[in-house]
Amino acid sequence: MNKCEIQFGKMKWKNPLTVASGTFGLEYAELFDLSLLGALTTKTITPKPKKGNKPQRIVETEVGLLNSIGLQNPGLEEFIKTDLQKYQEFDTNLIVSISASTIDEFIKMIERLDIQTGIDAYEINVSCPNVENEGIAFGTNEEIVFELTRKITSVTEKTVIIKLTPNVTSIENIALAAQKGGADGLALINTLYGMAIDVDARKLKLRNGIGGYSGPGIKPIALQNVYRVAQVVAIPILAMGGISNVQDALEFVIAGATAVAVGTQNFVNPFTSIEVIRGLEVYCHQHSVDFNELIGSIT
Amino acid sequence: MQLKKLPIQNISFLNQNYFELSFRDEKITELVKPGQFFQIKNPSKKFPLLPRPFSISKVEKDTFSFLIKKIGKVTRSLSELVQGEIVQLLGPLGNGFTLVDNKNSLLVSGGIGYAPMPFLEKELHGKGNHITSFHGGRTGNDIFCREVMNCTEDGSVGLSGFVTEHVEKYLQDNPVDVVYSCGPEPMLKVLVELCIKNSVQVQISMERIMACGVGACCGCVVSVEENNEVVYKKVCKDGPVFDGAKVVWDE
Repeated sequence: MNKCEIQFGKMKWKNPLTVASGTFGLEYAELFDLSLLGALTTKTITPKPKKGNKPQRIVETEVGLLNSIGLQNPGLEEFIKTDLQKYQEFDTNLIVSISASTIDEFIKMIERLDIQTGIDAYEINVSCPNVENEGIAFGTNEEIVFELTRKITSVTEKTVIIKLTPNVTSIENIALAAQKGGADGLALINTLYGMAIDVDARKLKLRNGIGGYSGPGIKPIALQNVYRVAQVVAIPILAMGGISNVQDALEFVIAGATAVAVGTQNFVNPFTSIEVIRGLEVYCHQHSVDFNELIGSIT
Repeated sequence: MQLKKLPIQNISFLNQNYFELSFRDEKITELVKPGQFFQIKNPSKKFPLLPRPFSISKVEKDTFSFLIKKIGKVTRSLSELVQGEIVQLLGPLGNGFTLVDNKNSLLVSGGIGYAPMPFLEKELHGKGNHITSFHGGRTGNDIFCREVMNCTEDGSVGLSGFVTEHVEKYLQDNPVDVVYSCGPEPMLKVLVELCIKNSVQVQISMERIMACGVGACCGCVVSVEENNEVVYKKVCKDGPVFDGAKVVWDE
């Protein structure tokens, strides 16, 4: 059986699979050995505890999911004390997703996390659509993305992945800004803006009105974003957006992704990422191809 | 928790609105506690995407069942399944009710909130409790069991009026140590007020739209008072059962 080892920034992955931030947690260790994944990605951590948005936070639509969680998390110090310890038990790469509201706060978080053991990479969440003055407010501005990436990469030796939003005019320009700032890799896409209305009550279904849209419905959009970015950057891409099975994953890889993440589909079947790993191995075996040859292999 | 794909052992209809799905799995029946739930999905249908949470209604030896109301696409699609078809179940999930020993326990349910009551009643009975059960429905179609104090809003079966009106009288005249409840939020809210007034402990099972069901996504939160602070708790993992007196109702 072909193994699908990859290099992502400074990390070696045993396979190209991880989970999208916010869709997975240590809870799933009850179901399978999390070490089977190429990498684990945490839910986004912020400098201080974050309460999150008022409910209603979740709405299912025809072919996807709207959320307005608002980065609810216990904060950096609590994360270091509790979850980080538990994540270290797994023999795989750990990507810690972080968000902050100033460049300075980002740098302070990185400095604090850099002295901990067991962290392999940072995913810089500059693309959350559900928080004010952070997240997407950073990720839609080329200069800010460049400046933030440059400062972060100058203080850490670890792999730095910038997570991009599709809610921009030119995702290529944002991707290039991150690359120019020294990013080791890119993760895309975060959720698209979306909403739903209850026609009987004539009310917005999400309490916040507008949320982030994910799931199978966004796959074609994510795919073209990955394809476009892959045309212009030299750094590896971690692709996500509606991946439900191995066929979806292969499309992203062939479009130019080095690694892929399962997100919303974890809620439908928590074993999806494991099934995709096996599926990729089978595909490579049947097509007598090394996984790395598949990356960006559109003929 | 476990992820299982189990064949339906039995599907039976109580009336046009309610049905019961049963499965057989010895390991699961050994694990489950009253008030816990499973995320259930018909794996042959890609959409709706998310599984839906259903609390365990009955446990008998190696068989466990869910009482389900036909409301939307998912419950309709589940109601159309037949014996032997495969269903995906993730669970048991959630905290479940905290069971007391040798006390006067009062069970109060409304509508499909009756679902966790038979299993809860059985386990409380095994712990030597004296149990009284009230159940409320809009009409006779929402009544499941003759052995409980049934109340209907249209007066067609049992006592007439809201279940909480009759519980209020019962609490005035009878000693009650713990109230266990599940039902629509307006009912729970009134019931919690009654229990606080009568200084009775009340455990309520809450419902929210869920995504993961295991505590990973933070989609299903309710406001709960903790150390003089209002915090968001996850219905799927911290609940679904909460101390009614601590729940802060949404405006």
